[in-house]
Amino acid sequence: MQSKTWKLSIKAKEKNDAMNHNTIHKNLKRSFWMFIAPCATLFTIFFLVPLALNFFFSLTNYDGWKTMEFIGLQNYVNILSDPQFYAALRRTMTYAVLNLPFRIAIPLLFAMLLTSPKIKYRTIIRTLIYLPVLLSSLVVGITINWMFSQTHGLINFIIEALGGTGLEWGANPILAMIVVSIASNWAAAGFFMIIYIGAINNISEDIYEAASVDGVNGFQRFFKITFPLLAPTTFLVILLSTVNLLREFALVQGITQGGPGTSTTFIVQYIFNTGFTQHRYGYASAAATIVMFIFAFIAFVQFKISNGGDN
Amino acid sequence: MKKNEPNYVQTGIGIILGFFMAFPIFWLVLSSFKPTSELFSYPLTLFPKDFTAEHYVNVLNNGFITYIGNSLFLAIVGTTITLIISSMCGYALAIYKGNIKFTNLVFGVFLLGTLIPGETLIIPQFSVISALGLYNNIWGVILPVVTTTTGIFMFRQFYLSVPMSFVEAARIDGASEFYIFTKIMLPLAKSTLITLTIFSFMWRWNDFMLPLLVLADQDRFTIQIAIRTYIGATGIDWSSILAASVISIIPITALFIVLQKYIVGSQVATGEKG
Repeated sequence: MQSKTWKLSIKAKEKNDAMNHNTIHKNLKRSFWMFIAPCATLFTIFFLVPLALNFFFSLTNYDGWKTMEFIGLQNYVNILSDPQFYAALRRTMTYAVLNLPFRIAIPLLFAMLLTSPKIKYRTIIRTLIYLPVLLSSLVVGITINWMFSQTHGLINFIIEALGGTGLEWGANPILAMIVVSIASNWAAAGFFMIIYIGAINNISEDIYEAASVDGVNGFQRFFKITFPLLAPTTFLVILLSTVNLLREFALVQGITQGGPGTSTTFIVQYIFNTGFTQHRYGYASAAATIVMFIFAFIAFVQFKISNGGDN
Repeated sequence: MKKNEPNYVQTGIGIILGFFMAFPIFWLVLSSFKPTSELFSYPLTLFPKDFTAEHYVNVLNNGFITYIGNSLFLAIVGTTITLIISSMCGYALAIYKGNIKFTNLVFGVFLLGTLIPGETLIIPQFSVISALGLYNNIWGVILPVVTTTTGIFMFRQFYLSVPMSFVEAARIDGASEFYIFTKIMLPLAKSTLITLTIFSFMWRWNDFMLPLLVLADQDRFTIQIAIRTYIGATGIDWSSILAASVISIIPITALFIVLQKYIVGSQVATGEKG
């Protein structure tokens, strides 16, 4: 008898607890959504809806104005035989692949030098190297363009002063590509240097001390210890750089605007021009869809290869 | 402390590198004070022979006061909104992780924002902005970009490192969820707030593609778009664009100098000897 009431009261208490738990959980759920709501709403309107619209537009001949007829996969068929699209895509890929090693090597060298315990004025030097990061891509382009200007630039002036002939930086496709590459690496070096400095400082001194006891030299020290330990950071640098190189747009506007001809027109500019200059929204959306999948695929592969940066 | 004796070779290389990297900016600034005739005649000199501020006067009389105002509005309002909404969002994604099952799913959806670069969505994004009546309106370049996955991510990571006992203790004391966030948890995230302030201000001040498309009337231009107008089909108006570019660098550099220890010197705080 006694044990029965005892059991009942336990049951009642459990029920009560469960109810309490439910109301608390409901309350937390409501709070969660209230905290998320502003971001979620804006993200839906300006990212998820455009994402869906992009797929939809890509199946139409929308001109951004009145015409919008469903044409199935016609845009995709046309793009896959469009030499302009392939050229822009190939150019963008080449640009990204050729610049990627510099995106790692230059910041890493800077970071190695500036974490040396024996260097003085390191904060000032770091700040000087970081300064270009503050500039907009457009102004980065303008600044470098001004130095490489064909008829009145500083670089050609120096070349001529040394007895050479000034180069046609703006008229030669390869030279134009080199100037764009210099500008983009110049602007990115400081940012990735800071990331590497943080990572280098996190490497324990004990490892180096043990290595010096074992008589490891400087080269071994870097290639056998520092560089492998920085692998997760290098992965991050590769991932961020790849995306940034593939989406290059404003920088080119400050230098060549895609020229000479279309020799520095990258894929984002191709989409932009097709959509807004030629008013082929549908066609440009289809191109954007393909590019989106390529970008996502590249990021995915990089992520898989590096195991998410975990070693 | 023999180990930390300064190495003059390393220091020398460092100074040369620093100077080399900053030199294009010095050259831009020095050139902007040269009269037009000097800009286009060899031999070039490092310092202006005939120092002049005429390009700055021209540019400022050419509407740049308005453009600076528009850019400041974009950067300040955009950054404020970003700080508020991404701190809330990142906080919720971290704190309710144990209570609500689908937080990681929500976070995963936001991560799409980094996987797919905004540039590839520019066409439908522009259609949405137009449909909402935000074409040629400064809000049309603010609202689409204030949700940044980077910002959400930064706050989420920060709050994952804060012990949950802070929140639980306050809940037992009967504090509301909103009170816990604003009065207890948000002040803890000071360094994240400052870091995101610098980045967000920089992003918004330097925004290019969306303002280029959305802002049509000259008096609504941001400074970047106004600079772009000096690049014509036939060539670049160098004397104006140099001064305009220098003006565009000033606010961001000033903010950087004030807050730089949080970026460049952030290692000092973690125990490294400066």
